[in-house]
Amino acid sequence: MVDRNKLRETAKEIISREDVRELIGYRAGTYGFRARPAFVYDPGEVDQLIFTPACVNNLATYITLEEKLPVPRGQEPDLRKVAVMVKGCDSRALIQQMAENAYDRDRILVIGIPCTGVVDMDKVQARFPDVLGPGEIAQEGDKFVLIYDGRREEVPREELLADKCRRCRYPTPLVYDVLLDEEVAPFASDDYSDVEALEARSQDEKWAYWEEKFSRCIRCYSCRNVCPMCYCNDCILDRLRPQWIRRSVDISENTVFHVARAYHLAGRCIQCGECQRVCPVEIPLMELNRKLYKDVEELYDFEPGVKVDAPPLLSSYRPDDPEDFIL
Amino acid sequence: MAAKKLSKEKVGEVLQELSKFRLITPVKSDDVVIFREIADPQEAFLDYGNSTVPPKKVVFPQTETLFRFTLGNPELREKNVEEEGTTVIFGLRPCDARAMSIVDKLFSWDFEDPYYLKRRELTTLVGMACVQPPSINCFCTSLGGSPFGKEGLDVLLVDMGDHYLFQSLTEKGGRLEEMLSSYLEEAPAGEEEKASSMEEEAKAKIIRSIDPQGIPEKLPSLWEHPLWKRVSDSCLGCGICTYLCPTCHCFDVQDEVERGEGRRARMWDSCMFCEYTLHASGHNPRPTRKERTRNRISHKYSYYPKRFDVIACVGCGRCINLCPVNIDILEILEQVVEA
Amino acid sequence: MKNPYIPYEARILEAWYETPGDRCIKTFKVAFADEKVWDTWNHRPGQCAMVGIPGVGESMFCISSSPTEKGFLRFSIMKVGKNTSAIHELEAGDTIYVRGPLGNWFPMDEWKGKNIVTIGGGIGQAPLRPVIQYIRDNRDDYGELTVIYGARTSADHCFKDEFQDMMACGDCCCHLAVDVEEENWPHFVGFVPQLLMEVSPSPENTIAVTCGPPIMIKFVLQNLEKLGFTPDQIYTTLENRMKCGIGKCGRCNVGHIYICKDGPVFSYAQIKDIPEAFA
Repeated sequence: MVDRNKLRETAKEIISREDVRELIGYRAGTYGFRARPAFVYDPGEVDQLIFTPACVNNLATYITLEEKLPVPRGQEPDLRKVAVMVKGCDSRALIQQMAENAYDRDRILVIGIPCTGVVDMDKVQARFPDVLGPGEIAQEGDKFVLIYDGRREEVPREELLADKCRRCRYPTPLVYDVLLDEEVAPFASDDYSDVEALEARSQDEKWAYWEEKFSRCIRCYSCRNVCPMCYCNDCILDRLRPQWIRRSVDISENTVFHVARAYHLAGRCIQCGECQRVCPVEIPLMELNRKLYKDVEELYDFEPGVKVDAPPLLSSYRPDDPEDFIL
Repeated sequence: MAAKKLSKEKVGEVLQELSKFRLITPVKSDDVVIFREIADPQEAFLDYGNSTVPPKKVVFPQTETLFRFTLGNPELREKNVEEEGTTVIFGLRPCDARAMSIVDKLFSWDFEDPYYLKRRELTTLVGMACVQPPSINCFCTSLGGSPFGKEGLDVLLVDMGDHYLFQSLTEKGGRLEEMLSSYLEEAPAGEEEKASSMEEEAKAKIIRSIDPQGIPEKLPSLWEHPLWKRVSDSCLGCGICTYLCPTCHCFDVQDEVERGEGRRARMWDSCMFCEYTLHASGHNPRPTRKERTRNRISHKYSYYPKRFDVIACVGCGRCINLCPVNIDILEILEQVVEA
Repeated sequence: MKNPYIPYEARILEAWYETPGDRCIKTFKVAFADEKVWDTWNHRPGQCAMVGIPGVGESMFCISSSPTEKGFLRFSIMKVGKNTSAIHELEAGDTIYVRGPLGNWFPMDEWKGKNIVTIGGGIGQAPLRPVIQYIRDNRDDYGELTVIYGARTSADHCFKDEFQDMMACGDCCCHLAVDVEEENWPHFVGFVPQLLMEVSPSPENTIAVTCGPPIMIKFVLQNLEKLGFTPDQIYTTLENRMKCGIGKCGRCNVGHIYICKDGPVFSYAQIKDIPEAFA
């Protein structure tokens, strides 16, 4: 477990540096056992920072989410570093962003947190619906300990662990400037059994399955906005000239939205699972993304977000490519 | 009108009777509760907290046609909402009905929106009181609502255990009661008092609150306050808070054409999206999430009440429960009060 | 009540380009296909209408003609995006759709007997034109009329013929400007706010109406105050992205005001305390 004092001391040192503009970490949420992103601009603000199994958000998305406004004449843009706390899965987002030249390595300062798994907040909330809190979650061995209102409840880790953590191959960040804890060895493997179950269905079954899901979609675009790999300034799904997908919400447009986005993420999605977590109507988006992830691994022996110098899979071209034309 | 008793065993038959109209109830789609038209009474899921997507979607559909046209032909064929027929929403929560009354004010302000208002006219709202607040983030009582609130409803049902207390509140509710009279019985003596004390118990279970007094007047003075950047730093700029809010009503208008046939349609839009106020020239008066968050809160808690004398929020708590980054409107309002 | 979302069918009587370039301005004179619409159509200077093409979309434009100009409406439209590009493809004889009149108007009745100064820049002259035309058509009801107008270059000037006419006629004082020195330009060289200081109109019994790029408005307001104009003597129009035009879709709000309903015409006094008006 990450030592909280060490975390805050490290953060304080970092945000005190002149070349660091802000630090993005986690702090306690406003109800139940939630944790949420924290933006620290001043050394005096580090005491809110925590890291617990409730820290589910992928903070790497904020590096590319931040709006870059035109700078008034006479002013210089603020190019100081942004420090960001990342778990293993989150760090892969940073690597993939840098592999795509979204920004240079020296623009960020990575505080790596080896992670032993986070909770599925829906399961926590279903278990403890009446807790206003503030409540906190800790991990002790194979149990999660939930502390609230002076009480302490132990729940077997298995019962609350997020699905993505059950198949996590990279618990320790793959890129970091400082590591806040001992490295964690991979404790799970991925057999793609959920994808295979999907593949085994008949065409009609698949269609009925996804029709039920996509017809719930309200096109809130939370999946796209939270995704660290979705950072195009002019998203194809928003464009009007030409309009690739209508703003009207029906099964046809919804299906195109999700399938198109999944294809745009093929070879880029780093499996952080945020899209599925944020969806308010519980569309199992990871099933789509994992299908493509598995295909990419099988066809190209490639995993995104692992090596910074690995050229992006579907947007790089070698003179000796078997296809004789880029398209 | 005196309250009646509706045995729970008779609810299936009542729903069967109502299915001659467009009957919409809470249903479960996988584990998600939404409002949908049902054909089979078995589909109705009445023992629920609150739906993810509010029933505003019934009277203000996410996408609807304004008029149709054929390219090359000047005629514009107006969409006739009457064709949708009488609708009954059975089992919505009081906050969602109150929200519709709040939104009615805008859609009837000066220009009458024929689509929304006709749909409202054709819809009967049968509400289900919250014996327990659906979530810890409910705060309807802070804003003039109640878990047993009657505002906006035509009928209120209260779960008394083996039966519902059936109270019709309006003319429409009265007509429904008459239609269903063969399924209704005399309510046992003292039920209405019992329901009253159940209401007080339910209200007492609501933990979170805010005192809205003074907030509408104070907000404009906080225009440059640093709190807006702080609360919006983690915002993703998605549409969850607006789309799941029962009082949010902003929409976009788009023309769609396919093989010579087209329509002008309107669909939900969100003031939190960055293209919401993007001018064709490229200028955007609300370029970052800070401006949009400030606008959203100000609109709900200051601009709307300034014009229509009611805060455009019913305290249903959906935005708090479903914001992926735990941006909390009650926390923002507390900061406004303390600023 | 008529469905406020349904536009009227109209025919383009004439169309011509005012200015060249990528963002060129084209003026359209349109008349309703159904003559009876004129019986109930009653627009005032400053009001707007939604102009569009089913299948493409509609956008809000100020009605650039005065109600004293009978039998047609004028719109001067700059080509910037999807809707305006499609509208620019239209020529005389083509069908176009108009929905309106929408919004509020300049209080021409209140201004009777006063001197009026209009200060416009670029396409900003379009909403000022109906004011000027209305005054010229009701000349005796108003005092002095001063028209100050500038654009980047002489080619970018709108309503060139009408300005020639106005400068020749005796019924108003016209002052034109271009931003930078240009061959054969006999008038002022410089920005509109500077020309305003040159002309230096007196605030005595005068109303100033200004419209143009935000940066021009900012300096015009400063200069008008220097000249002694009070906020309720200054009028302007605000704009924002619009979709419904009738106060329902929510997006055109600036603070608590909806530009499509409470505006687009505002006195400076009404908006000076709304921070969002100057974003």
